[in-house]
Amino acid sequence: MRIFLVEDTHDVGEAICRRFQQAGHTVDWETDGQAASDILSFTEYDLVVLDVMLPGRDGFSILKKMRQSGSGVPVLILTARSEIDDRVGALDLGADDYLVKPFDFRELEARARVLLRRRAGGEATNLITCGDVVLDLSNRSVTVGRREVQLKRREMALLEILASRPGKVFSKEELLDRLFGFDEEVGENAVELYVGRLRKKLEGATARIVTQRGIGYQLVADGA
Amino acid sequence: MALLLGLGAAALITAAWFYARTAADEAYDRLLLGAAFQMSENLTVQDGVIKFDLPASAFELLGLADSDRIFYRVVTPDGKTLTGYNDLDTGVDLTAHQSQPVIGNSTYRGVDLRHVTVSRVLTQKSGVVWAHVIVAQTLESRRALAAELTTRATILVAIMCLLALAGSAIAVRYSLHPVDRLGRVLARREPQDLTPLDLDVPRELTPFVDSINRFITRLSERMTLMQRYIADSAHQIRTPLTALNAQVSLIDDEKLAPADRRHMERVRRRASELSRFTNQLLNHAMVIHRFDSVQLAPVKLNDVARKAFRAAVPMTVDPDLVVSFEASPEELMVTGDELSLREAIVNIIDNALRHGAKGRLDVKVGRDGDNGFVEVSDDGPGIPPEEWGNVVKRFYSSRSEDQVSGLGFAIAAEVALALNGRIGFREKTEERPFAIHIALPLIEGGQA
Repeated sequence: MRIFLVEDTHDVGEAICRRFQQAGHTVDWETDGQAASDILSFTEYDLVVLDVMLPGRDGFSILKKMRQSGSGVPVLILTARSEIDDRVGALDLGADDYLVKPFDFRELEARARVLLRRRAGGEATNLITCGDVVLDLSNRSVTVGRREVQLKRREMALLEILASRPGKVFSKEELLDRLFGFDEEVGENAVELYVGRLRKKLEGATARIVTQRGIGYQLVADGA
Repeated sequence: MALLLGLGAAALITAAWFYARTAADEAYDRLLLGAAFQMSENLTVQDGVIKFDLPASAFELLGLADSDRIFYRVVTPDGKTLTGYNDLDTGVDLTAHQSQPVIGNSTYRGVDLRHVTVSRVLTQKSGVVWAHVIVAQTLESRRALAAELTTRATILVAIMCLLALAGSAIAVRYSLHPVDRLGRVLARREPQDLTPLDLDVPRELTPFVDSINRFITRLSERMTLMQRYIADSAHQIRTPLTALNAQVSLIDDEKLAPADRRHMERVRRRASELSRFTNQLLNHAMVIHRFDSVQLAPVKLNDVARKAFRAAVPMTVDPDLVVSFEASPEELMVTGDELSLREAIVNIIDNALRHGAKGRLDVKVGRDGDNGFVEVSDDGPGIPPEEWGNVVKRFYSSRSEDQVSGLGFAIAAEVALALNGRIGFREKTEERPFAIHIALPLIEGGQA
């Protein structure tokens, strides 16, 4: 994926660049606001990470211009400005997410991943229901009864697979393939780990993940 | 005030009594004198013998004082009593001529008397001689008159005193009314309100109000400077801190010696602590500053809590932690400032994530009577009740130097207070986990 980073503090920019590159992305890094704005007008990226305080042209103005020209590229704003109002302002201007400096770099990576995935996915906008568990694929949220439960990406994927056909028993191998693909090297107990976590998070729901010994797992709604 | 009036009244009554007595004396003395002169007119010399004819008119005159007894004595020049009470003695030298009537007090037969002695010159063959007429009168009438005059004066003084008391009470109340109003205005003020007083007061109070206003202005300027200073310095700290975190994150732990790795881990932890603290400091300054200027508005509690929940729970949160959010089924509206309220809730959740939750953290919005609340419960050890009062203080740390609770709860508590709400704690029991909630009064009706 191509990421465009606009950040004038060298130490920070360097670290962001390096971390994204380590994750296998291509990063273009620009320190001047005006130059960045010019580049954005003719280059397509998958994600823009934008600092607010910049020489030349500030981040908000760059963002505004992008959205005015119809660009839908996900933008993650980095702000060090003293008012929290900035965060709201950023979202109003069409930013997809923001982080206030100083931030945790793992958090930046996690959020960037979400934005990139959203970009690549083109996700369906439907609900999957099993018992009182509702999985909303459009905004990646899960509710158990009235409780909204936060799920990790893999847990969400696992639930999506199981809930797509309630009652069907999915084998461990099938789940492993669909969760991690063929590229990643994970142990067999990775599935058990995620099933365990998902079970814990669905506690109190009227649907349960049932283990069929030696066969696999199924999602069963109570009374079904 | 009453003492002063009492003293004044006593002095006035004494003076009134004194004047009443003098007036009564003067009035009755005239009668007495008139009677004495009439009697002395009736002293005649016939054939060398002094004759006395008691005039009825003199007694009529003295009869005006009807309750008094009258004594008289007519003394011839040779000292003999011609008629009357011969033992009526006034202590006046009767051998000498008195050119003026002599008036005095004396006691006769155990009764207090007022007497007058008048000399009458008679011409005899032997030459000019003088006889004396003594008339005395008991004191009842004059005492009665004096008492009556004094009583009337006393009543007048008393009425005047009462009027003065009532008048001055009203005057004091009236003149202090603006001070009272000023006091109420000051007491009603929001603690953050540092605008000068705008109040109509009498001219006498203007310097007082002016100095209060000067004080408020000075205080406000200092506060503004202080807040700007905090905000500026926090802002200045952010950039290098971000850079520090950035550089630290680039260090490859794999290539470090085990001891260095340990040190590195500490550097990371401290750096993130510092980041968190800087954010709190800045947010705290922001929250305080906001209540000075922001107009409070109706806020949907579910929305604010959900936003806070999303902001507070990082994506990198421990995957084994069960984190959930439960909105209230009804829309709850509270009066507040969305940003500050969100910061307050974020801080409570953040604290639970850092110091509480081991396997579970639940955020719940609900209603309790006239209050809407956001409750954050976790399955951690909780905060013991004796610490509840302390953790909402700024920079209070209950544990060792490792854990500085910082400003999180202080921000939450200050926001709650500014919005007429409060922060509450629920003790951990066997059945229920430890919980912290922020409760705010619902807008009338409670529903949107």
